[in-house]
Amino acid sequence: MESGIFQTTYQKDMALRRTPAQFIRLGVLLAFVLVFPFFADNYWLTLANQIGIAAVGAIGLNILVGYTGQISLGQGAFLGVGAYATGILVKQMGAPWPLAVVAACFITALVGMLFGIPALRLKGLYLAIATLAAQEIIEWVIIHSPDLTGGVEAMVIPAPTLFGQRINSDFRFYWVILVCLILTIILTTNLFRTRTGRAFIAIRDQDIAASVMGVNLFRYKLLAFAVSSFFVGLAGALTAEYRTIISWERFTLDTSILYLAMIIIGGLGSVTGAVMGAAFMTLLPAMLQLLGRTAGGFMPNILQQIPFLQQAFFGLVIILFLVFEPEGLARMWRNIKDYFRLWPFSY
Amino acid sequence: MSLFLQLTLTGLTNGAIYALIALGVVIIYKSSGVINFAQGAFLLVGAYVTYWVVGQVGAPWPVGVLATVVVAALLGILVERLALRPLIGEPIISVIMVTIGLSSLIAAIISLIWGTQSQPFPSFIPNQNITIFGAVTPADRLYALVLCGVFLLGFILFFRFTSEGIAMRAVADDQQAAMSMGISIQRIFAVAWAIAAVVAAVAGILVANIVGVSSDVSRIGLQVFPVVILGGLDSIPGAIVGGAVIGLLQAYTGGYIGGGTEQVIPFIILVIVLMVKPYGLFGQTRIERV
Amino acid sequence: MFRRLTVWWIVAVALALLTAACSSAPATPAAPAQAPAAQQPTQAPAAQQTAAPKTEAAKATEPAKAAAAAPAAGKATGEPIKIGGIFDLTGATGDVGTPYAKGVQHYVEWKNNNGGINGRPIQLIGQDYGYKVPNAEQLYSQYTTQDKVLAIQGWGTADTEALRPKISEDKIPYMSASYSINLANPKETPYNFLVGTTYSEQLQAAMQWMLQDWKAKGKTGVPKIAYLHSNSGFGLSPLDDGDKFATSNGMEKGLRIPMLAATADMTAQLTQAQQYGADYIFIQNTSGAGATALKAAKSLGMLPKVQVVCLNWCTDDLTVKLAGEAAEGLVGASPFAFPDSSAAGMKDMAEFAKSKGTTIEAEGLHYAQGWTTMAVMAEGLKRALDAGKPLSGENLKTALETMKDFDTGGVTTKLTFTPDDHRGSKALRLYQVKGGKWTPMTDYIQTNLSIAK
Repeated sequence: MESGIFQTTYQKDMALRRTPAQFIRLGVLLAFVLVFPFFADNYWLTLANQIGIAAVGAIGLNILVGYTGQISLGQGAFLGVGAYATGILVKQMGAPWPLAVVAACFITALVGMLFGIPALRLKGLYLAIATLAAQEIIEWVIIHSPDLTGGVEAMVIPAPTLFGQRINSDFRFYWVILVCLILTIILTTNLFRTRTGRAFIAIRDQDIAASVMGVNLFRYKLLAFAVSSFFVGLAGALTAEYRTIISWERFTLDTSILYLAMIIIGGLGSVTGAVMGAAFMTLLPAMLQLLGRTAGGFMPNILQQIPFLQQAFFGLVIILFLVFEPEGLARMWRNIKDYFRLWPFSY
Repeated sequence: MSLFLQLTLTGLTNGAIYALIALGVVIIYKSSGVINFAQGAFLLVGAYVTYWVVGQVGAPWPVGVLATVVVAALLGILVERLALRPLIGEPIISVIMVTIGLSSLIAAIISLIWGTQSQPFPSFIPNQNITIFGAVTPADRLYALVLCGVFLLGFILFFRFTSEGIAMRAVADDQQAAMSMGISIQRIFAVAWAIAAVVAAVAGILVANIVGVSSDVSRIGLQVFPVVILGGLDSIPGAIVGGAVIGLLQAYTGGYIGGGTEQVIPFIILVIVLMVKPYGLFGQTRIERV
Repeated sequence: MFRRLTVWWIVAVALALLTAACSSAPATPAAPAQAPAAQQPTQAPAAQQTAAPKTEAAKATEPAKAAAAAPAAGKATGEPIKIGGIFDLTGATGDVGTPYAKGVQHYVEWKNNNGGINGRPIQLIGQDYGYKVPNAEQLYSQYTTQDKVLAIQGWGTADTEALRPKISEDKIPYMSASYSINLANPKETPYNFLVGTTYSEQLQAAMQWMLQDWKAKGKTGVPKIAYLHSNSGFGLSPLDDGDKFATSNGMEKGLRIPMLAATADMTAQLTQAQQYGADYIFIQNTSGAGATALKAAKSLGMLPKVQVVCLNWCTDDLTVKLAGEAAEGLVGASPFAFPDSSAAGMKDMAEFAKSKGTTIEAEGLHYAQGWTTMAVMAEGLKRALDAGKPLSGENLKTALETMKDFDTGGVTTKLTFTPDDHRGSKALRLYQVKGGKWTPMTDYIQTNLSIAK
């Protein structure tokens, strides 16, 4: 927190935003987000939608990994649970889609809790490997229940409708995603001002001490899995409704790794960081592709190498961030703000 | 009965390959407490370097294998120095992610150089069928079994009789005490990574000989986690036994049940082992539980 | 300080490696067929500027050769016709997808050098999707909303089947390399067109042959069958129809054995077939996986007692190359002729391939398959333009449906599309590997399975 700012009431001290600069930044950001779709073309809208969904999922994962310190390699599978739950509810049971999305969140929360049980005995590396097993097992179940999920073949659901309008374009879906993302951000930021949220952080920092202070580890670890999976399920459900084609290939271990990369690059234990990480990891391959295409005119060979260049940069970016700026984009953003605030006396 | 024998043989030979890959993971974990998710990428390096030297350049195969060993060792040292050393003291998730990042980077570079098309592996490993008690196996699988035994023996001797090996055990036991005895921990870590990379590269040659040279070679790297957890993350005999058990289980479920169950069985075992005996069959019981 | 240095080290090494990788790629001799430069500008405005037909860049590199291959009509100059391409170069079926994509790509170049479609060049906007349904879906919506393509050349079964509702709604004529029978009925999928014979019919024709072969071998009773199939929509596609044929001929349903990519070795799976006592094994997968299975079968001593039969995606020279001796005696069902069959339709292909520094023999059967599929689409475009109507998905569909006995120069039998049936080819041929070479075993077999559900 910046120095030189004093609060006179507890309410003000607890407020999420306390300085005029913070309110201005928020206002500018909101204005941009609201105006953006009217000016952007389809390409940027698609990217924006992808970022929005990824951000919801990354915030969910960050609750578990960044705030509670429980490593999960099962993110992809939990996204899959959310997506398939939505699909099954909409397609096989004919539920209206908003209901299906909400139900999918709760279903994913339950499944997340189930696979969170090993966390009661394990931590660190061992927990990571246990969640890896969860990923593989859930994936296997999805593939091997063809009656329910379509198995290896993709499941197709009808495009959602709202107020009689089909939400089948990027422009229309943008608003759905935006509402969900804003809700997720508000809920999560507030979560860490409550006892539950602070218990999560206590577990991350020192589990034994937390337990001594009266945090019920059993309860709060499971709760962390549930809350995290709830939002991950929301991201999965949104993916299903946005894409209308649900395929297990979207929910593999690679997806888990991608999301972990998002929160590491964005900043562990930071909601802003998760959003920035989601944006960064979505834009990186897209921009590489753009760059490759522009260069493709005089280097035709580069075009066929783009998928591998994307993969290489994915790895390189993770390594560089971990070695160079382990606290991620959130920290870099803070440094930039500090630099300008203290200018010309920045050090 | 002959089916049982056949499956047993298949399981053991496949298990030997798992064990070889697992050995590398165990050696790294033992000395530095890092679990290496890039083991699959090391397999790729082994497969492709041999393919390049023998299949494309046309050198005789001992040169190819030697080149592979040297490249793998250098790569291991490089990786430790550039990516792992700066992360000493960072949280476990950072270390896991850096090895994942490495794996992605190495696989991408290999694809950039050689593409992803499957190529036949130069056949220098004799491949006639060998019949044992009515069960048939190609000779190359038996080589994996033999090689596994050689490595196991080699490591046991290495850890018991060489000063390097003893130093490694000391580091694994207590880093600070080892340091105060004048052991260079950095050197030990580098040696551990080099050994792990070499063992994985040799396994890569064996795997490529079976499935051909393609990016699929690295997928087998994922199977290594059930193996090391079952055997114990820090136990070399554990890696061998774990490999055999997982290999056998996969062969039996594949042969008797089928329908893809063999893919998920190792992971179900993994969860059970983690819940019941998290330190595995032979691992040191020093897991802190909360 | 030390930390910073280390980082710079990493950057330097990585950059050096990457540059080395990029520059050495084209020079490596036996390197996998340099994937066709199938990627083309697709999405962003910046990229659109470089979107001049692919021929520009390619010709610049080899001006003399390309000119030699373009004798008469000269280069097409009119307003380009945009066609999307969803190819697999790097995915599970990249082994056969790469030559196929190259064939499509080369046809477009060749056609544009030879006057295009009534003077209008085809602009192929193609990209790799790694055999993943989500990527195909992403590319599809990009092509339809961003690039506004007229039609699409697709690839896999699972993705094409998943896209069915969108294709029908957007009215995008779609030719994919998936010959799933679910795509053949215009009542359900009015905009999907199949150039090859459906997998179901391939399997049934192969089973028909199996019954004869069984008798010819002097065996009694009925044979037992097993399917080794890719664990995907593609692999599962023909199995139900195979089982129907089996049960109606008094056989047991085939044993289904999925081939999992993650298993390094297929001995366990083949042991299952052995234990079941399968006399015939049908492989519905691509060359790489097919070859691994063949090698395992050989090592178990199952060959040649058990007859292995490939459907069209592993009936190619790559399978023989990868499996070596284990491929001897393998039977394959293919609606497409082999490049060395001296079919007349191979002539343009062969000349153009030579001008690109390769041969159709080296590229193989799937190259001809891609070339021909694109040629059929081009014929449809021509018919649509000749009819004097504006180019639209609907008009292209109608034009394609007027195609009767279209001659592909012997690459397939003559193709016919009608408003009631979108299977172009209803005939296939069985081949066998003899002395490491595929040789025709039967003449073209006519098939006609009902497409109505």
